[in-house]
Amino acid sequence: MKFYKSFKHALNMVLHSKIRSWLTILGIVIGVAAVVAITSLGQSLQQDINSQLGALGGDLVTIRAGASRASGFFGGGGREGQVGGITSSASKEEIVLDKTDVQALRGVEDIKLIETEISGRADVYYVAEKGSTTITGVDQKVWFQITTSKIKDGRMLGPADTNVIVVGGRFASSFFTTQVGINQMVTIGSRLFRIVGILDDESSSIYMPIDSAYETLEDKTKGVYDSIIIKVKNEDELDTAVEHINEKLRISRHVTAAKPDFSLTSNKERQQQREQITSSMTSFLTAIAAVALLVGAVGIANTMFTSVLEKTKEIGIMKAIGARNADILAIFLLNAALIGFIGGVLGIIFGILLSGFLPSLMGGSAGPLSRLSGGVISIQTVFIALFISIMIGVISGVVPAYQASRLRPVDALRFE
Amino acid sequence: MAKAIKKPAQRQVLLHLEDVWKVYQMGEVEVAALKGVTVEIQKGDFVAIIGASGSGKSTMMNLIGCLDMPSKGKIFLKSQDISQLTESNLASLRGITIGFIFQQYNLIPTMTAFENVLLPLEFQEMDDKAAHERARYILDLVGLSDKTFHLPSQLSGGQQQRVSIARSLVSDPEIILADEPTGALDSVTGREILETLHRLWKEEGKTIIMVTHDLNLAQYAHTTIELKDGKIINISQRKEK
Ligand SMILES: Nc1ncnc2c1ncn2[C@@H]1O[C@H](COP(=O)(O)OP(=O)(O)OP(=O)(O)O)[C@@H](O)[C@H]1O
Ligand SMILES: [Mg+2]
Repeated sequence: MKFYKSFKHALNMVLHSKIRSWLTILGIVIGVAAVVAITSLGQSLQQDINSQLGALGGDLVTIRAGASRASGFFGGGGREGQVGGITSSASKEEIVLDKTDVQALRGVEDIKLIETEISGRADVYYVAEKGSTTITGVDQKVWFQITTSKIKDGRMLGPADTNVIVVGGRFASSFFTTQVGINQMVTIGSRLFRIVGILDDESSSIYMPIDSAYETLEDKTKGVYDSIIIKVKNEDELDTAVEHINEKLRISRHVTAAKPDFSLTSNKERQQQREQITSSMTSFLTAIAAVALLVGAVGIANTMFTSVLEKTKEIGIMKAIGARNADILAIFLLNAALIGFIGGVLGIIFGILLSGFLPSLMGGSAGPLSRLSGGVISIQTVFIALFISIMIGVISGVVPAYQASRLRPVDALRFE
Repeated sequence: MAKAIKKPAQRQVLLHLEDVWKVYQMGEVEVAALKGVTVEIQKGDFVAIIGASGSGKSTMMNLIGCLDMPSKGKIFLKSQDISQLTESNLASLRGITIGFIFQQYNLIPTMTAFENVLLPLEFQEMDDKAAHERARYILDLVGLSDKTFHLPSQLSGGQQQRVSIARSLVSDPEIILADEPTGALDSVTGREILETLHRLWKEEGKTIIMVTHDLNLAQYAHTTIELKDGKIINISQRKEK
């Protein structure tokens, strides 16, 4: 029998199969869904890590006033939330970062650049609209060297700039109902600023020279910084650099290692934490996938054995009218492969949905995975998943199909 | 009772059974269904195999149809010892040389009349166009051209049996084997089926071997073989009309 004919008969068999046998593909569906979700997450995680290492820089260390919040990585709402927290601690006027700290840091050899920032929220007016967003005052002499953001349009802040701002990509495109472009004026607080650059990112933040920010943001004391950003000379020796920075600041701020009044965070550290969480999640999902696929394989084998039993008479008929063993084998193997294929397709669909939901399920909106773009499924993943499911179908179908092909025509015909 | 087989016009042995035994193992007990059957069947003959229930008729048919192998003895189909054939050769033999008609029709329930008739040709990898034409022609021949796309469940017993006859004829086999083809039909329909078989025998020159309980239906045959307890006790031939 020609291949496409065998395929046609196998398909026919699948289409006429009972609902009961459809249930057994559930294992394959779950298994493949898990596989797809894992691969998709793995891929978007890799993208995320790459973009962070490349863009956000593994060589940056951020210093903030106040003791380290152990759960800062998990809790809080990212940058804005943390800044809010610092603002309140700064207002206590006891624990702050200022020129003394910068001075102290200048003595650390591992440091390449030091940048100081303040940030807070402010109202922004454009034409007749009003909105509130994060304003970051940056040391414009250093910022353009240290920031991981790239300019999409216009230019960075220059050393001599005043009353100009650089805005995030989303601020330009969709913060107001109309797009905001280069050289347009927005009012922040009570002062007018000109946009000189638009960043290539998804933020709605505004960056301005730190001196302008002191005047624009309320509750800010000149000379007090919300954060000090440090770029180390050698990314590979980040850990030693962090240690040296810690030592230096402890001495200059007269605190002990047990009770620090400042905190250091590095991007690398965040990435490591994120990788750790993801890898434990990945192994969890892998375990689910493996078990589900195994259950799925057993399910298909079971369906196939039942199907061979139910079709014994038909096998006898086919043999009586000229079917070779090979024909029967082909039909049943293709049937199993098709069951696997269908399970795979359903699994991929569920997997895509799952990978879309998983990041928010695992960490909430601010969780470690919230920034991962779920639902990114590559063609490769789809093919791998389909291949796995078809192979599982075939492997679990081999024994039943062989059994079917070896049935003796008389015995099969007598079967009722 | 004429035991000697009268020579037909062109005498040619199509099938030859030589001291054929079939012993079934039932646990400890051995049941001999056929006990040394020797017979020759001529090409173009219409043979009825009769005998009481359990006399070994179906067993003999299964052996002739290469669905089963004898425990002892030899079967020659067109002078070929079928025990020497490979599985794949036997399959071709069943597909091309032999056409089966069963008591219970044995159609594939999920396939239409047309698809059922087409199936043997698909196993022989016949070209689609030719196969479709052939299947349509044969369905027309058995008078079912208007039921082509009906499922077996949508057909009467007689119609199903005619689909099954069409299927047995589609690959133009030399031998048609029918094990109680009218067993599940009422006598009028049964007679119609027999008329169809008889016409095929007359017009197409097929060799037909049929098992039947019904001595009236056995009248259609040219040669009658009577079995009792696994042995041939009588072979008779009707005088030519
Ligand atoms: N597969 C089998 N296993 C064991 N015994 C069998 C088997 N097939 C047939 N027999 C026995 O062989 C004998 C002949 O059976 P067979 O089916 O050939 O009879 P039959 O003449 O066709 O009867 P019927 O008219 O009832 O169809 C019976 O005694 C039967 O019990
Ligand atoms: Mg019988």
